[in-house]
Amino acid sequence: MTTTPDPRPVAEMIAGTVLLHGWRCVDCRHPLLWSTPRCPRCGGTVEASSFGPEGVVWSSTVVRVPVPGRTPPYAMAYVDLDDGPRVLAHVDGPAERVAVGSRVRLLEQGIHGDVVVTEVGV
Amino acid sequence: MNVALRGVGTSMFGKQQDRHPSEFIWQAVIEALEAAEAQVHQIDAVYLGTVFGAPGVAQRALHALGIVGVPIITVENACASGTTALHEAITAVSMDRFDTVLALGVEKMTDQFAGAIHPESTDIEGRSGLALPSLYAMAATRYQHLYGLTDEDLALVAVKNHAHSVHNPRAQHRTPHTVDEVLASRMIADPLTLMQCCPIADGAGAAVVGRQRPGRSEVVVRSSVLRSGGLWDHTSEHVWGFDLIRSTARAAYEEAGLGPEDMNVIECHDAFTIGEIVTTDAIGLAAEGHGNELLRAGHTQVGGPQPVNPSGGLLSRGHPLGATGLAQAAEIVWQLQGRAGGRQVDGARIGLIETMGGGVAGIDGNACAIVILEGIDP
Repeated sequence: MTTTPDPRPVAEMIAGTVLLHGWRCVDCRHPLLWSTPRCPRCGGTVEASSFGPEGVVWSSTVVRVPVPGRTPPYAMAYVDLDDGPRVLAHVDGPAERVAVGSRVRLLEQGIHGDVVVTEVGV
Repeated sequence: MNVALRGVGTSMFGKQQDRHPSEFIWQAVIEALEAAEAQVHQIDAVYLGTVFGAPGVAQRALHALGIVGVPIITVENACASGTTALHEAITAVSMDRFDTVLALGVEKMTDQFAGAIHPESTDIEGRSGLALPSLYAMAATRYQHLYGLTDEDLALVAVKNHAHSVHNPRAQHRTPHTVDEVLASRMIADPLTLMQCCPIADGAGAAVVGRQRPGRSEVVVRSSVLRSGGLWDHTSEHVWGFDLIRSTARAAYEEAGLGPEDMNVIECHDAFTIGEIVTTDAIGLAAEGHGNELLRAGHTQVGGPQPVNPSGGLLSRGHPLGATGLAQAAEIVWQLQGRAGGRQVDGARIGLIETMGGGVAGIDGNACAIVILEGIDP
């Protein structure tokens, strides 16, 4: 493990809804999951923003090989948050591929500190 | 550009835990020098690609061969590190910076990994537990959703490349496999099974790059292009890597004055089965989303119109990251010289090398390098 700051976005419960902390360009509104000195698209200034609580699965898989500090298998997905960035998330529930296009909702972060989503209406 | 790959060489590929990385380099360099009919003192610069090589890995090996006193430049571009070294060597000769350059790649993966590679923990992907096969698995799932790609289509890449490797004595795996065997192997990251993932390997590759000499049979460089990925985010329609490979290929074709239909033989980045399908789409062998049809029709097998990965590819030869680009280059050079034995592509005159390196979150790939070569007779 590294002592470099954890790069994963932070989720926070705000008024009963889980949102992800991020940044957004003041000029072009480009959403970002990590703090950057400038907007990578237009060079504008970025300001703190938040994203979620729902989005759509862009793709998914189940990791079945050991990764340091993890116990496989676990489901993961790239999720396009509504009006926000594409975020890599763990999918709550059984270790199965969640269908592309499924609607998901952010959950509070687990002990691992990962971004976690769950299928809406499941 | 009047630049030629005068000679190439490689080590054996595979798990070679008991050997020193310098031994791989010596084997590759000596073979390349002999093929080029070049002497050590003629080498006036070296570019070496490696990802996990120890500091000084190039100098440690090369001084023992008497390659000393010249500029030695080590580059890192993930899986495209060796191809980056080759590209830089080609570019240096074409710009008259040096006359005769040694392009090298080396990796001793068995010192680093027992299983899957995982991205840097300084990135979201790595810190979140996304092993590298899962990054490609995400592309496979997306392709299955958009284009109806089947698990069998994916397996066909491994079946084809393993069939090719039977004729490659330097490959790590040389056993043919059926679709059923590929699909029955252990699941690594859905939908990719173990036999759809390249094995951890050790090895090296080398090429002697110089000016084309008139009146001789040569393998000349028609074009060489290196790019890094654009931003990959919620606005990206394509799977990771597609846009980078496509833009690099278009630039390489334009520089060569050739198109995908002109390629007689191709070595591309099949680190995972989906990688070859995405790549054959992106370099224009098939319309987007139709790469599986190439496999079903036998278009890309040896004996077909445009064989892809006659060496067995990364899936069979093994993938010593920094060495891979030079191993690909060696295969294409041998193919264009008619020296590829049982895997020879009949009449191959023009060949393409493509390597794709990734792992950094937020971009479409760390690097893609494409080199187009032509075998010419006086």
